[in-house]
Amino acid sequence: MQKLLTIILFLGISLPQVLAQGNRDFMRETGKINVVTGVMLLIFVGIAGYVLRLDRKLTKLEHHLKDNNHE
Amino acid sequence: MHMWWKYLSVALIGYSIVAGMLVPLKPGVAQVKPGAAKTGQSFECSFYGYNSFYSRSEAKDIRVWLEYDSLHALGGQNIRVVNDTVLSATFLIPDALPEGKPIVLLNAILDHPADGVSLLPGAVEVALDTAQHNPAARWDAAPVRDLHVKSDFSYPYRNVIYESIRNTYFHVPMWFALMFLFIASVVHSFRYLSKQNPENDRKAAAYAETGLLFGGMGLVTGMLWAHYAWGAAWSNDIKQLMTAVALLVYVAYFILRRSFDEPEKGARLAAVYNIFAFASLVPLLYIIPRLFASLHPGATGNPAFGSEDLDNTMRAVFYPAIIGWTLFGFWLAELRFRYQRLEMAEME
Repeated sequence: MQKLLTIILFLGISLPQVLAQGNRDFMRETGKINVVTGVMLLIFVGIAGYVLRLDRKLTKLEHHLKDNNHE
Repeated sequence: MHMWWKYLSVALIGYSIVAGMLVPLKPGVAQVKPGAAKTGQSFECSFYGYNSFYSRSEAKDIRVWLEYDSLHALGGQNIRVVNDTVLSATFLIPDALPEGKPIVLLNAILDHPADGVSLLPGAVEVALDTAQHNPAARWDAAPVRDLHVKSDFSYPYRNVIYESIRNTYFHVPMWFALMFLFIASVVHSFRYLSKQNPENDRKAAAYAETGLLFGGMGLVTGMLWAHYAWGAAWSNDIKQLMTAVALLVYVAYFILRRSFDEPEKGARLAAVYNIFAFASLVPLLYIIPRLFASLHPGATGNPAFGSEDLDNTMRAVFYPAIIGWTLFGFWLAELRFRYQRLEMAEME
C-alpha cells in the first residue's frame, strides 16, 4: 500500500515537469485539456496498482493451495 | 451473486467519461488586447474568444461593454467581426474614472445572439491621464441588459480552468467514494465491537483500505489540477493539509491493526480507533477548511460546492459519476475481503 501511494505521488509530482519542457506547453495549450488526461491516467494507474497487488496475493494463495493438495 | 451494481458502475463511469470529454464548453472571452488604456482615449481593442463563433451573427447584433460596476459601464462602438474568435471594438473613455480613482480594472462583457453572453473579469486597466480629452464621453448607468443566455447542453467557461473543468467528473467523485467507503468501514467496526465476528473486522479493513486508495488518487489528481489552476501542486492550502492529515489518520489504522500478536486484540483496538478516525474525518475534510481562506472551491463559508460551481449540464454528468465511482470502490473492497475470506478458510 505504501509503495503504491509513493508511486502515485511520484507520478503526480514529476508528470508536470516532464510535460512542460520546451517552448510549447503540452499541458497548457488547447485549453488545458491534457490536465484532464493526466487526471484520468493517475486514476487508472492507482486502480491498476491496486489490482496488481491483489493479483500477487492471489498467486501466493494459489501456490499455498497447491502445496496443501500435494501433501 | 448479484452482479447488477457492478455492471451499473461500469456503465455510469463509461457515461461520465464519454459525456465528460465530448460535451463542449460554452464560448468565453479569453483575452482583451491591449489590456491597458488611458482616460480621454478613443480605445480600440480586440476581443479574443474561446470556443466562440462570432461570425454566426451580424456585427450590428453583437454588443460589448467595459464595466466597472452596475452604475459605470461603457458600450463599445464600431464593432467588427474579424473571424470566429476575434472581434474588434472602440470605446470612448471619459476624462474621469468612477469614484475619482486614479486607476480601475474593467470587466469585459460580450453579448452575442448565437453564442450567448461571456464575461472576462479585470480585462482592461484604465489609468487617469490628463493629456487626452473626450468631453462627450460618459459612464453609462446599467446599460448591460437584454442579454442572450445560452441554455444548450454545454459546460460553463471559466477563466484559468478552461477545459480542466472536466476534472469535476474525475477528481471530485474520488472524495465521494472515499466518504461512502469510510462510512461502510465504520459501520462494520461498530458491528465487530457488538458481535466480535472477525468477518466484520476484515470488511472494515477492506473498506478502509479501498477508501484510502481513493483518497490517494483524489489527492494526487488534485495536486496535478492545482499545478495548472493554482500555480503549484502543493501550496499548503488548508484543504490540502487537512485532507493529508485525514489520510494519515487512516494509515495509522492499518499500522495499529497489524501491530498486535493476538489478532483479536488488534481487531478490537483497530475497531475502536476506526470510530475515532471517522469522527475526525468530517471536521478535517468539511469543517476546518471552511474556517480559513482556501483556494479550493466552496471552501469559504458556503456548502462544499454551491450553485456557482455546478450548472444543470454538469449535474447530469457529475451525479452519475459519483454513483459510478462509489459502486466501483465497493466492488474493489468486495474483491479484497473475498480474497481474505478465502485466505482465512485456507489457513484453518
